[in-house]
Amino acid sequence: MDMDMARDALVQEARELLDAMEAALLQIEASGADSEAINAIFRAAHTIKGSAGLFAFNRIVSFTHIVESVLDRVRTGKLPIDAPMLSLLLNCGDYIAQLVDAIAARVEEVEPDPARRAELEEQLNQLLGEPAQTHAAPAPAPVASAIPAAQTSVVEDPVNSPYWHLSLRFLPDVLRMGLDPLSFLQYLGNVGTLLNLRTLPEGLPPLAQLDPEQAYLGFELDLQSEEDRAAIDGVFDFIRDDASIVILSPHAPMHEYRTLLALRPDPQMLAEVLAQGTLTADEAARALLPPEETVESVPVNAPVVMTETAAKAPAARQGEDKKGGYEQKFIKVEVSKLDLLIDLVGELVIAGAGASLIANRRKDSQFEEAVQSIAELVEHIRDAALNLRMVPIGEVFQRFPRVVRDISHELGKEIDLVVTGADTELDKSMVERLSDPLMHIVRNAMDHGIEATEARLAAGKPAAGTLRLNAFHESGSIVIEVSDDGRGLNKARILAKAIERGLVTAEQSLAEHEVFRLIFEAGFSTAEQVTNLSGRGVGMDVVKKNIESLRGEVEMLSTEGAGTTVRIRLPLTLAIIDGFQVMVNESIFVIPLDLVIECIDLAGLDGHHDIVKLRGEPLPFIRLRELFELPRLEHGRESLVVVQFGQQRAGLVVDRLLGEFQAVIKPLGELFSRIKSISGSTILGDGKVALILDVANLVHQAVQQQAAPQNSKAAGSLASPQKSNG
Amino acid sequence: MTSSIAPGASPAISQQFLTFSLASELFAIPIEHIREIIEFGGLTQIPLMPVFLRGVINLRGAVVPVVDLAARFGRAATEVGRRTCVVILEVTQDERVLPLGVLVDAVNEVITVEADQIEPTPEFGARLRAEFILGMLRLSERFVIALDIQKVLSVEEMTQLAVTEELEPELAATLAVTDQGF
Repeated sequence: MDMDMARDALVQEARELLDAMEAALLQIEASGADSEAINAIFRAAHTIKGSAGLFAFNRIVSFTHIVESVLDRVRTGKLPIDAPMLSLLLNCGDYIAQLVDAIAARVEEVEPDPARRAELEEQLNQLLGEPAQTHAAPAPAPVASAIPAAQTSVVEDPVNSPYWHLSLRFLPDVLRMGLDPLSFLQYLGNVGTLLNLRTLPEGLPPLAQLDPEQAYLGFELDLQSEEDRAAIDGVFDFIRDDASIVILSPHAPMHEYRTLLALRPDPQMLAEVLAQGTLTADEAARALLPPEETVESVPVNAPVVMTETAAKAPAARQGEDKKGGYEQKFIKVEVSKLDLLIDLVGELVIAGAGASLIANRRKDSQFEEAVQSIAELVEHIRDAALNLRMVPIGEVFQRFPRVVRDISHELGKEIDLVVTGADTELDKSMVERLSDPLMHIVRNAMDHGIEATEARLAAGKPAAGTLRLNAFHESGSIVIEVSDDGRGLNKARILAKAIERGLVTAEQSLAEHEVFRLIFEAGFSTAEQVTNLSGRGVGMDVVKKNIESLRGEVEMLSTEGAGTTVRIRLPLTLAIIDGFQVMVNESIFVIPLDLVIECIDLAGLDGHHDIVKLRGEPLPFIRLRELFELPRLEHGRESLVVVQFGQQRAGLVVDRLLGEFQAVIKPLGELFSRIKSISGSTILGDGKVALILDVANLVHQAVQQQAAPQNSKAAGSLASPQKSNG
Repeated sequence: MTSSIAPGASPAISQQFLTFSLASELFAIPIEHIREIIEFGGLTQIPLMPVFLRGVINLRGAVVPVVDLAARFGRAATEVGRRTCVVILEVTQDERVLPLGVLVDAVNEVITVEADQIEPTPEFGARLRAEFILGMLRLSERFVIALDIQKVLSVEEMTQLAVTEELEPELAATLAVTDQGF
């Protein structure tokens, strides 16, 4: 196994375990102690320690060891799991995360923060009521010290075999948990040479009842190795809890083999198997007999391992059955591999469009049919490939319970977090870039939105504020809302601040949502008091920029006194969309199909002042020809494409409708970043580049025109919002 | 950042340049910036952009911007003819290498120039902003301007210009009228 890969795997596993540990701690804090949660915490610490031990990352092993000792006492009820304990354990988790970061950065030799570590260790040791050293090394470590085993069991002759003997039995569902016994055997090859490997089918059911997803086979093998017991034992760190593993040293005393035979369901058969290599026939026969002399001390080595395994297994099981069934559904894949796949699918989509174009020209019906069925498959492949990158937004949300807890403590406010829609899916690449803006919005809401307890009570609200994180899908977008039930936005104050900052003039009359939008202007901050958390004046403008870079938009909704909601709307994916092609003069533009409501022949409508009446409702519209200053050509009738973004609708006037196609989005790059009406480009089947319209921006322009009627000429020439933005 | 022509530096070093023409004038670009040369096969205009940003082309699946060099130098926009080519260059922007096409009337040849054939930038008379000029190549019968591609194709500056010109619709309109590439 490649060590770097193993190390990366360790880091990733440890981070996941730490997340699980944190979630369990917060759960206990929220809803009281719960043995399953406590077990989960213990398991996390234990596994991190075991894995780190495998690599001899001693800093993490020794620290986690003390944490584990405390957790063990919590688990057995000797220590209470109260608020200080939870805080301490959370802090310890944070410190372990720092140690893991050090491993990731290849600087594990350096203690990240010795003072912090000493402080935490002191607190832990106080709980243990003893200095750390005396409690050293209970769990997997003791085996290391017991190599010769000779002192305790001189009573019986050692066996002849100069090799280590390993007896391995696995729980039936290890495969489902992603642990393949074979890979451990393979890895064992790294510490020595495998000899006399025997497969024991003792657990194998009749063929009819055989479940191919279960592990039935046991293994007996000899190992020729110069390594010590700890190294050999370390091979099984990952699977120890789910297996019965007995390791007997070279020339182990006879009684250890006897104990081993007694442990297994069919000693007779096992003895026969052992006689085929490990033991001589005579030794095997003797091992089956009761001890010739009284052995006063219970064998030391093997049983230590066995009892540990046996004791832990049932405790760990309850929690893990559920988890095991869950985990097997996943494979970890490097993101770059997925990206490559999506790029290739993108090329396939373009090539497919080219082929169908040729098929249409040839007018060969068989060819057309073949191309059609390929195109359908490509569409399925595209959807499936894109779906691979979809992850639940819960990945982002899961950070917030801890954030809310810490910040509310810091602010001295009582705040409950309610998360809904965590399983709403969106593109992985967006999840990563969403995290920071969301964090900022959440901090803002807690800092400025939710009032202090006294103020809340005075306003007749419950003492505890509520912060809601919500996500849902809506017409081709994902909507994420952060709401608080705090004081709401003060329109007058925002306006005063904006005038003071020169963002607007006192004469301008602004609608409510326009006032709220001022919050997103650069350098705007209404917090009178600059706090540690937010209100440094950089903030919402950065949030807005981040969201816009994801082709999304953000808006504020607020009722004074009742609360504020920040609503973020994002496209579901950044890679490939269903597009609708339209033509203006000779240029082809693409509109995201999800946003197209309907297409109407403009000739039938009365379209004078950039507003048409559609089924009695006024609909603002934009002539793309005028907007883009394309020359006016003589042509037939025009069409109106009705698009919707969020709650608003607008019409786009085009010359021709060309129909649907799959558009692989290609960014236009920085050079063209100033054109607000175009969000990107795509390559058509014939190889030409077409531009993708930014519907959000166009709808805003149209609605703005409607709100402030101008003559149609001015509306067509570069509508004013672009100037103010640029 | 800028490629290294040091006028009068160690004479042993020779450099290769691609020469090409804009209208009737010859220019040169150090060959290490050039990725490939393709025949002009039409492009997609981006509306409301200054004249020198002619549009984008599909280069084997990548969308690459094309700059009209003549227009960038403030001269009349290039008219597409039989020998019109797009030279794909690599420009470094914020430590990333971006492909960028330039539209030229014709490409001529690759020449090898000894270091002592390179003269410093003249103070005046080149009808070109001095910072665009890397040096003057003294060939047997004439001088050829070697361009500093990083300066000429500074993404930052061109993006800025795109904003300024966005406010002058007449200029943008010129683009729409003159440029019917395909």
